[in-house]
Amino acid sequence: MPDPQLTVEDLYVRFPTSRGTVEAVNGVNFTLEKGQMLGIVGESGSGKSVTAKTLMNLLPRTAEVDGNIIFEGDDVRAVAKERRKHFWGVKMTMVFQDPMTSLNPVKRCGEQITETLRYHLGDDKATAKKKAIDLLEQVGVPEPSKRVDQYPHELSGGLRQRVVIAMALACEPSLLIADEPTTAVDVTVQKRLLDLLDGLRRDRGMSMILITHDLGVARGRCDDVAVMYGGRLVERAPTETLFADSRHPYTEALLRTIPRIDQPSHTRLEPIAGRPPELIDPAEECAFAPRCRYAQPDCLGTIPPVGGVRGQHEFACFHPANTDRGRQALDANLAAGQTVTGLQIQANAGVN
Amino acid sequence: MARFIARRVVQLILVLLSVTFIAFGALNFLGDPLVNIVGPLAAIDYCDEVEAGLREDSYTSINNSRGDCEIIGEAKADFGLDKPVIQRYFTWLGNIITGDLGTSFQTQLPVSEIIAQKLPKSLMLMVMAQIIALAVAIPIGVYSAYRAGRAVDRATSVASFGLLSIPNFALGVIVLQFFALRNQWLPASFDDTSIGTRIHSLILPATVLGLGIAATYQRLLRTDLLTTLQEDFVHMARAKGMTDRHIMTRHALRPSLFSLITVFGVSTGALIGGSLVIEGIFSIPGIGSEIVTAVVRDDFPVVLGSVVVIATGFVVINFFVDLLYTWLDPRVRAS
Repeated sequence: MPDPQLTVEDLYVRFPTSRGTVEAVNGVNFTLEKGQMLGIVGESGSGKSVTAKTLMNLLPRTAEVDGNIIFEGDDVRAVAKERRKHFWGVKMTMVFQDPMTSLNPVKRCGEQITETLRYHLGDDKATAKKKAIDLLEQVGVPEPSKRVDQYPHELSGGLRQRVVIAMALACEPSLLIADEPTTAVDVTVQKRLLDLLDGLRRDRGMSMILITHDLGVARGRCDDVAVMYGGRLVERAPTETLFADSRHPYTEALLRTIPRIDQPSHTRLEPIAGRPPELIDPAEECAFAPRCRYAQPDCLGTIPPVGGVRGQHEFACFHPANTDRGRQALDANLAAGQTVTGLQIQANAGVN
Repeated sequence: MARFIARRVVQLILVLLSVTFIAFGALNFLGDPLVNIVGPLAAIDYCDEVEAGLREDSYTSINNSRGDCEIIGEAKADFGLDKPVIQRYFTWLGNIITGDLGTSFQTQLPVSEIIAQKLPKSLMLMVMAQIIALAVAIPIGVYSAYRAGRAVDRATSVASFGLLSIPNFALGVIVLQFFALRNQWLPASFDDTSIGTRIHSLILPATVLGLGIAATYQRLLRTDLLTTLQEDFVHMARAKGMTDRHIMTRHALRPSLFSLITVFGVSTGALIGGSLVIEGIFSIPGIGSEIVTAVVRDDFPVVLGSVVVIATGFVVINFFVDLLYTWLDPRVRAS
């Protein structure tokens, strides 16, 4: 089997602040095969965006990074100075969450696409402009030759995000990282943009990392989904496996927060109790334990290591859901009415 | 655009009306120009009583056979000071519209001539000071924002605050001492011989003025740039692999210039007539020193003429600043 296109090994990212060190990413490992689409799902503060920014070398200077990121044989964190110039933006690129703010308001749309072409590929003005119009056409922008001379504020949110995508694709990258690319646009536009990204990825044989807090967005598009919590990767599986047979209680809880078509209407969605974990000096325990319905004394002693089947279905939990061990833990907690961390729970939660 | 200009013209007229009205009123309350015109003759109050027929004009000066009050009366009529203030204001206003700024009480020269002679020197000083300020502040502001918190940034912060806290005249005197008197590297006073000598002799005063403003510009630009650098489009540009230099100059700089050019407009207006201390130190016969002299001597026409010129300059410059806004941000154009 050839080496994966992207390998992330033992990635740690810390931010020293006046209140203490924020441990944003704590030992994340994953791989991405060429042409695949990986979804990274998690709530705010789970470390998913920081992971993406680390890949893109976009972290502030104060960040302390440790670990290996190998992309197409290159150690991303130590790319030679000369090659660095044409690495990000050419091989690996990123689309941000908010199309309203990720375009420079004082530059024409066309110029924002052509500047990459001119800098990285050395295209002349006319060639770059022609390519920009082609790109806009490919991402479904109507009247592209008119749009290149327009300013971002003259376009709608959906159109702007298409321009951003065109910008990112200009130099034909082999990996595109999309950080919540559809969170800031209308639901109707959302699906179209996601389908567009998926189609472009397939046409170009490009790999993609889709970062989202919405499991529903990942479903049906991603080959694999990785779930992050408290700076750790808590579960990773092929998408359908994850949806059908999740192991980590956090994934299970996340799945309960999204409406499903196979359940009767008016089924109550179940919010996850408690608050996201503190990232400053976290305790040596499972970060999800205080919110977990399965929590047992051993969850508080050590951080559960990533187990399961490597490369297939990996998860970091001592009492995984949908297993005997998990069911025993849950039954015991239900009988007691609370978990080891004092979380009050009751049976048949989530069912009307 | 036509409407934009029309609005500005109306604004200019309103500003000029209110500024001249206030200046006119203030001058008339604060002093009596007659004292300066005719010299220390008989008390003007006394003559007022004579005029009202309350007493005889028995006071005569040593070298004149006529009564003092007669002289004062003539002068009053000559300069139009025998009319009520309001009436004089509107007469003056009428003259302004026809382009007549009046005649100096002191020198009897037309005010327009005095201004034509003094203003170019002040304008030249102002332009040079602004060029120096921008040339110093923009590169340093960009670099200190780029390396925020590092040694260069901290050093420039200290330097800026130092410059901001030294008053103009102190810096002016120090610079004059060191560069012109002790070392004679540059001239100490204004030399009107040719355009070359004018520029040469304005280098020191323009630098003194320019550095003070540069410090303000640098602080403003640095702060605005730091805010802009947090914007998503800057991250996007970095994700596109653009160089830091390209990002700073082509992406971040333009949207970060708003505070700077606002202050640029205001300080330019203030510099037209406000650099009087520096004009004094470096013996520049500019409009600033002219106004001071005129105010001291109650030379109303000169003061008012200068006020009109400066206020016009202020409004015109800020009109161009507004045009700059629209160039800086296309969103302003739309609205």
